[in-house]
Amino acid sequence: MPIINKSTRTPPSPLSFQDMLFGLSTFWAEQGCVITLPYDVEVGAGTMCPETFLRVLGPKPWRVAYPQPSRRPADGRYGENPNRLLKHTQMQVILKPPPANIQDIYLESLGAIGIDIRLHDIRFEEDNWESPTLGAWGIGWQVMLDGLEITQFTYFQQSGGIDLEPISVELTYGLERIAAFLQNVDDVYKVKWNESVTYGDMRHSEELEFSVYDFEAADPVVCRQLLDLYEGEAARLLGEYPRFVKSEEAKENEPSAEYLASLALRQKRFPLRKVFDLTLKCSHLFNILDARGAISVTERVALIARVRKLACQVANIFLDRQPAAEVAA
Amino acid sequence: MTDAIRNSKIENGNSKLKTGILKIEDGNSERGGGSLPAGQGTPESGILNPESSAATAVLVEEPPTIENTQIETPETDSLPLSMPKPSIALPLLLEVGCEEIPARFLRDSEKALGERVHAALLQAGLIGPGTATKKTRAAEVHTYSTPRRLVVHVPSVMAQQADKVEEILGPPVKVAVDAEGRYTRAAESFAQKNSVGVEALARTTTPKGEYLSLQKTTPGRQAAEILAEILPGAILGLTFPKSMYWTAKSDARFVRPIRWIVAVLGEGKAAATVDFTILGVKTGNFTYGHRAKSSKPIAVNGFRNYTKKLAQALVEVDYNKRKERVLQAASAAGDPAAGKIVQDEWLVDWISNSTEWPLPMLGSFDARFLHLPREILITVMRDHQRYFAVEDDQGNLRPNFVAVLNMASDEQGLIRQGHQRVLTARFRDAEFFWTADQKLPLRDRIPLLDKVTYQARLGSYGAKIYRTKAVAEYVCATLEALGALKSDQAAHVLRAVGLCKCDLTAQMVQEFTELQGIVGVLYAKVQGEPREVATAIYDHYLPAGAEGKSPRTLVGVIVSLADKVDSVVAGFAAGYEPTGSSDPFALRRQANGIIKVILENSLALNLKEVVNKALEVLNIEWRKPQDEVRARVLDFFAERLRFYFESVRGFRYDTVRAVVAAGSELPADAQARAEAMEALRGGEDFEALSAAAKRIRNILAKSATSADWQAGAVVAELLTEAQEKELAESYARVFAEVETHRAVRQYRQALEAISTLRPAVDRFFDAVLVMAEDREVRQNRLRLLKKLDELFSGIAHFAEIAQKQ
Repeated sequence: MPIINKSTRTPPSPLSFQDMLFGLSTFWAEQGCVITLPYDVEVGAGTMCPETFLRVLGPKPWRVAYPQPSRRPADGRYGENPNRLLKHTQMQVILKPPPANIQDIYLESLGAIGIDIRLHDIRFEEDNWESPTLGAWGIGWQVMLDGLEITQFTYFQQSGGIDLEPISVELTYGLERIAAFLQNVDDVYKVKWNESVTYGDMRHSEELEFSVYDFEAADPVVCRQLLDLYEGEAARLLGEYPRFVKSEEAKENEPSAEYLASLALRQKRFPLRKVFDLTLKCSHLFNILDARGAISVTERVALIARVRKLACQVANIFLDRQPAAEVAA
Repeated sequence: MTDAIRNSKIENGNSKLKTGILKIEDGNSERGGGSLPAGQGTPESGILNPESSAATAVLVEEPPTIENTQIETPETDSLPLSMPKPSIALPLLLEVGCEEIPARFLRDSEKALGERVHAALLQAGLIGPGTATKKTRAAEVHTYSTPRRLVVHVPSVMAQQADKVEEILGPPVKVAVDAEGRYTRAAESFAQKNSVGVEALARTTTPKGEYLSLQKTTPGRQAAEILAEILPGAILGLTFPKSMYWTAKSDARFVRPIRWIVAVLGEGKAAATVDFTILGVKTGNFTYGHRAKSSKPIAVNGFRNYTKKLAQALVEVDYNKRKERVLQAASAAGDPAAGKIVQDEWLVDWISNSTEWPLPMLGSFDARFLHLPREILITVMRDHQRYFAVEDDQGNLRPNFVAVLNMASDEQGLIRQGHQRVLTARFRDAEFFWTADQKLPLRDRIPLLDKVTYQARLGSYGAKIYRTKAVAEYVCATLEALGALKSDQAAHVLRAVGLCKCDLTAQMVQEFTELQGIVGVLYAKVQGEPREVATAIYDHYLPAGAEGKSPRTLVGVIVSLADKVDSVVAGFAAGYEPTGSSDPFALRRQANGIIKVILENSLALNLKEVVNKALEVLNIEWRKPQDEVRARVLDFFAERLRFYFESVRGFRYDTVRAVVAAGSELPADAQARAEAMEALRGGEDFEALSAAAKRIRNILAKSATSADWQAGAVVAELLTEAQEKELAESYARVFAEVETHRAVRQYRQALEAISTLRPAVDRFFDAVLVMAEDREVRQNRLRLLKKLDELFSGIAHFAEIAQKQ
């Protein structure tokens, strides 16, 4: 068996970070995806955005792609580690239902960022995904490019504690590491954002400052109070969601059309997405407390359960009123 | 049953005309080769492959049509009659094309599919009867797999099931045939009911008399038709440790989405697709090659053609051939100057199961990383990148690695560059963690353990360390009192207990979790901890079960013991007692480890006392009363002790029962007793003594209910017979001797001393009636026997010993 041991060459003109954003956005737009902007509440992953978490529920087909800065306080390294960030950028793609040739389409998308799969060693290695705070899990792989994990490829099976039908496929590209790979730099901060600005110019201070806050400056007592407040507000709202109630006199008869129309309207007005934002706030505060080392063992399990409970309720309400939502759409 | 060969009408797939009887003498079809090689089946020779060599086929002239053939009635009264019928054989190729199947499931899934297809073919009568053994299955059904396909090749499937011939009994001849020999209404009605003319009727003699009868032949069905019915179930019935749905929630689940299915019966031009659809995927005769080659479908018309075309498309379907490639290259490592591969069977297997076209490639990294410990470098390469490490003749790591690509080549060197980059980044991470972790030495990380979960119901590692320390202190104190442990060793034990889980808070372990324990030792060493303490940090995870390597030092043994005792006791208390095959926290393995280290080191520990200590410091929400937990844990240890004696020491089953029944709280003592028993077993005195011990036990057991005696001292004045006086005297002598031996655990000598009682015991039983008339005399004799019984029963319960035949 021959052993390859040849000199190496640098590939020609790699894409800048923003070129990658353009390339993938264009590619997925051509696949019928809605291209949206990053969500404006702190999230730990693109999965947590409503465009994914809510829209994978229910029967309506859906295709979306968006870049999502994702915050994981515990991964902060004060900007000192060349490979690790507390905020990294995911390119998130959802296809619901997944087409049968989704793997081929995905591989084609790599061409859009200058990766010729005939020249690289691409593998789909088993890696199943689970998010206890979202009550979500899926089956899939991490996609390896010459030994580098570049994408998480997941067939969602459940979200918000609800079995999905149809399922969705989620593709999550880790843009920073792909960019460093393509640009052949050994430090993420040296990645070219565009021709003249580096990733470090854009983000290094942010990494340092947030590391300081998450690991040192955050006041655990205040963070805990904030978490309680957000959770309380979410729970208060959830308690006000108008559910179908059979009135005393209507017990024998079908509910009146007026009642149903008024119920649908009140349900439609329910600020579900705000409740979900509050849930995301709780999740992020939990992550800060965790990074701060302020969560005890028993509390940890309990806190995750509290956030999951909110997320599952949101998912349930989303489905409960989906007929109305569909009419509106 | 007569030897008549059944005739039948056979239509072979695409060739129309051929009818006949085909006799197949199936040679030993070899794996991979296929007994029916691909060839061009012509319409004239469609059933018989002219190139066929492995299977010898004989075409027999077709007899006239079935209507004109006289069928001999088998002389039997069992109905229905199923006649064996040789048939034309066709090869079957089944490929389930799938998105990447996890490497860890692949081989099991491949084998399971082969078994399921074989079972289905057998049940449908499409492969020879009586071949359900594993060996014949391997000859009849060949399986292959790659991450993207599960393949079954059956060289010989019967093209058609054997016809089913039944004999149907009609009315008795005396009713159906009149005096003139003409058929009656009854006969006509019988013929009519079965849609035949009366001329088809025959006669059959049964024990009840002569009856009208007729032969009814149900033609066997075509294989293609049956396969279309049985293959979907064979495929979808596969189970996986983790599976998914992708069509509808209520649909069958599979490991990953099925994307194509090749189901081809026959070969060459005669090849025909077996039509069925599962989970929206319709079968066809198209497969797909390596992703990097092309995503276009490839038409196939038989197994040989299939493997040939796939090889051109960079897919080797045979696991063993892929493994050979990996092994070959890995052992050579290409460049001898670079060194040799660090052998790794697990990695070879994993790579063979995750590639379709493996190609080893030698890469290199910056030699400066070699300052990191070998364990860390290998973990990064093996567990994270699936690379083989490379070492020189002295076993020093070289700045090289071998990655196995899933590619045919790397002409531009891009892949090599990529792998080297990734490994460099990984090593740089490791280097960063190494440096960062040193800022907070292990000894200062103890408080951090309060925030690391051990187990949800059992709190943090901080809590676990607190409990482990209490157990370790007790063990140290006990052993020190016995002079078996020095005070500086005890200090090292307690130090090591405090540090043994601290590496869980290190970034290195959080990133490379498999380095738990190893990182602890490495850090302890550079942080100036005593060598014995550092070693114990790694060793406390040992032994991994009854057969694993034990801790190297006494300090490590005690730390390991204390940690495991807490795990078992706390595990039981939290409701994680092992049941059947369920043992989520591997408590059996841990208990085996406890027994092993106690016995190998002859630790004079009383397990009950140790367990009591562990229970005393356990502060959790109790799910069961504490006493119940204690009893269950001790039973569990007794069971593990028996397991160890039998499986590891190879002691006789009944020796183990007898010894453990006599006490298991002191495992080292039980071991000494068992060894003594084993040494003496088989000897004449032992067998006789064993019989005597049982006899004594029986008498005592019978008298136990009787209220008229109580155990107590033997009164010399009440001994009347010479034989009982002799026995009492012998007992007194032996008792003193046995006590001396027992005190120093010389059980062999103790048992030998007891053996000398044999003649006295024999004479006693020959001459003395235990159940004497006089109550006082009777009680005195029972007391004497009780004393003897006590002499035995502290060593072993002889009742458990199987009597020699």
